[in-house]
Amino acid sequence: MNDPAIEESPLKTTPTDEDIAILRARDFWASLLLIGLSVFFLWRTLDIPLFGGNRAGVSGASWYNSAAIVPLGIFTALQLLSLVLLRIAIKAGGAKTALSAMGIGWDRTEAVRFTTIGIILFFYIAGLVPRVDFIASSGLLITALIFGFHGGRVARMALCAAVVAVCGVYAFVAHLSQAEWGAHDDDVVTLIAWAGLILWVLICARGDRVLRVVPVIAVLTPVILVCAMAFGFRQNVPNRGGVVFSQIEYHYYVTLRPIWRE
Amino acid sequence: MDFILTQLSGFGGALWALIIDPLTYIYLIVSVFLGITFGALPGLTATLAVTILTGFFGNKVPLDYSLIALLGAYVGAIYGGSYPSILLNIPGTAASAATAMDGYPLAKAGRGGEALGLTTTGSFIGTLIGTLALLVFVWVLLLLSENIASPEKALLALFGILLSGTLMSEDLVVKGWIAGLIGLAMAMVGLDPLLSEPRYTFGWSYMLSGFQVVPVLMGAFAVPQIIEGLRHMDAGKITELKGRILPNLRAVRRYLPTITRSGVIGTGVGALPGVGEDVAGWVSYGVGKSVSKEGHKFGKGSLEGLLSSETANNACIGGALIPLLVLGIPGSPPAAALLGAFKINNIIPGPTIDPDIILRVVAIMVLASFTMFFMGLFTAKVFIKILAIPRTVFLPVVMVLTTIGSFSVGGGINDLYLMLGVGFVAYFMNLLKFPIAPLVIGVILGGLFDETFRRSLLISGGDVMVFFSRPVAGVLLVLNISLVLSQLPFAKRAFARLRGKTA
Repeated sequence: MNDPAIEESPLKTTPTDEDIAILRARDFWASLLLIGLSVFFLWRTLDIPLFGGNRAGVSGASWYNSAAIVPLGIFTALQLLSLVLLRIAIKAGGAKTALSAMGIGWDRTEAVRFTTIGIILFFYIAGLVPRVDFIASSGLLITALIFGFHGGRVARMALCAAVVAVCGVYAFVAHLSQAEWGAHDDDVVTLIAWAGLILWVLICARGDRVLRVVPVIAVLTPVILVCAMAFGFRQNVPNRGGVVFSQIEYHYYVTLRPIWRE
Repeated sequence: MDFILTQLSGFGGALWALIIDPLTYIYLIVSVFLGITFGALPGLTATLAVTILTGFFGNKVPLDYSLIALLGAYVGAIYGGSYPSILLNIPGTAASAATAMDGYPLAKAGRGGEALGLTTTGSFIGTLIGTLALLVFVWVLLLLSENIASPEKALLALFGILLSGTLMSEDLVVKGWIAGLIGLAMAMVGLDPLLSEPRYTFGWSYMLSGFQVVPVLMGAFAVPQIIEGLRHMDAGKITELKGRILPNLRAVRRYLPTITRSGVIGTGVGALPGVGEDVAGWVSYGVGKSVSKEGHKFGKGSLEGLLSSETANNACIGGALIPLLVLGIPGSPPAAALLGAFKINNIIPGPTIDPDIILRVVAIMVLASFTMFFMGLFTAKVFIKILAIPRTVFLPVVMVLTTIGSFSVGGGINDLYLMLGVGFVAYFMNLLKFPIAPLVIGVILGGLFDETFRRSLLISGGDVMVFFSRPVAGVLLVLNISLVLSQLPFAKRAFARLRGKTA
């Protein structure tokens, strides 16, 4: 691996001194976090009987068979290695630059990009998928991600993140408990938001071939996937009672299936 | 002799059963096509292809078809990575990074067709070499595996995690080991395997069964790729393909020694636990450069350089399946995804695996390599067109595929939360240059390590000499210690001094 040809490779780039300095500043914070986490989990491991605990009058196992022995080893090793990483980071000057934005390589555009993607993915998984029709929520996700990030424009990223967040927050707040996940008002809100976003995409699509195909991809992908999963593989799909999928399912079993069964 | 004949007849029977089943071809063509597509699209990887298909085919079709789909995608994806490497100078997968070194200069010199044709042939022969090694060595190791009990399994699992951490780390080796330890720690969640003691469940009943493999794989490999890839980038200018793709037989014969050598190296690297196709490609490229007569041309458009990496990364597949099938330890990240598929089908790879499954895997590999070969030669233009699709278009689709695949494997919505959580952690780990492969290997092998380590101590009554006194365990312990020691600064300085003296 130390072959000069490999080091010369444009694909396995040799990091510059500046890259390494940024990495060490980040390593400083990462090692502190890891030390904290390993201490926390070592403390939690103490809850597991190590020296033959007594549960409901039954004697536990010896130390060497305790459920705590391997986790203790893992978190101790993690702590030691984190200390090694901290030492390397400090020796390389990581601690000195760790408090400056430049030191850790802060990039505002990159932070906005990650935050907006994070918001979209979080509200999609935590808010929409459990509560809203899968076709509507996935269609909205595809539209938001392509439109928001294709041109790399910050305003579009923010708009798309806001649209998905509004739908996600509504579904989350209006139907927090699992017993309410079958309600349809959040499906309607998501469908309206999706239709509005698609309209805006088409308005902005003049001269952009990629944006023109967004509605087609956003509609066809979830429909094909969910139908393949539900009717092809006969598997459960998220939110089966969703307003769009329940209609597809009804017509599949009531209208279509009898045709080829006969 | 009897042994070889029995093996060959068993393999022939498995192959024949697949050949006469028409569904085999449907699964093969679809999966190899999807695999090549995943490999060809920069930003998607072979591991992701196998992981996503595990969500769809893992436990929803009979095991044979499931294996065809996953192995077909694996073989196709490793080969597919060569397209953007040669035509765009962007490796489609990490495995084909070395391919771009010579592939792109060849394409620029108007020899793109020749490069693709030879790459296809090299990948095909490489896959067959790896498969042959799988057929032979898996049985040898299965015979030896009678000597492998709990202490050896624990040390092998540890060796896999340490080796993966050492070789897969781009920055400091300590980061690879930390990633492996995080994976091991994640595997500790849930009821412990011997006493059913709950660990780190925080009162959440879902956590009692521990972290499921498929959502962890999806989170670790898909989510960071999606976050990282969703940025505005030009698809890149595809170099015009000149020359015929069908390989020249004389050229194949001329480069056969290179292909054979690279196939053997790739298989060997693949057989190392936790080390993937990218390492195989680079190692073979490095060896090729030092032993080849045209070593000075490597990096400037050498066909030998191209074949060194491309043959090795495909041969690595067969090698990676050897420790997976014999010991239950994946030889590469995509093999880890395959292990996930085995697990959700209630098949435990290891010494007790049904020998018929091994023969079927070998037969499927042979058919998948032929399918890849013919698709590569006759439908290359389709895959070249796919290269023009921007990442911002296909990655959102991948997110939906990942979500529905992860949901349907069994855990429902909770699996999706797990996938997203692991995904965000994996993204930050990527950002900090912590490798992800050791983490996944740690999650997969953590349960095995915990169980076998404690069982060894239980059987020996707490005597740690059990890890020294058995010959195979002793060797493995020495390997583990040597691996750690070799990375310490004083050892590195000693190696450097030694190298200086010999030079």
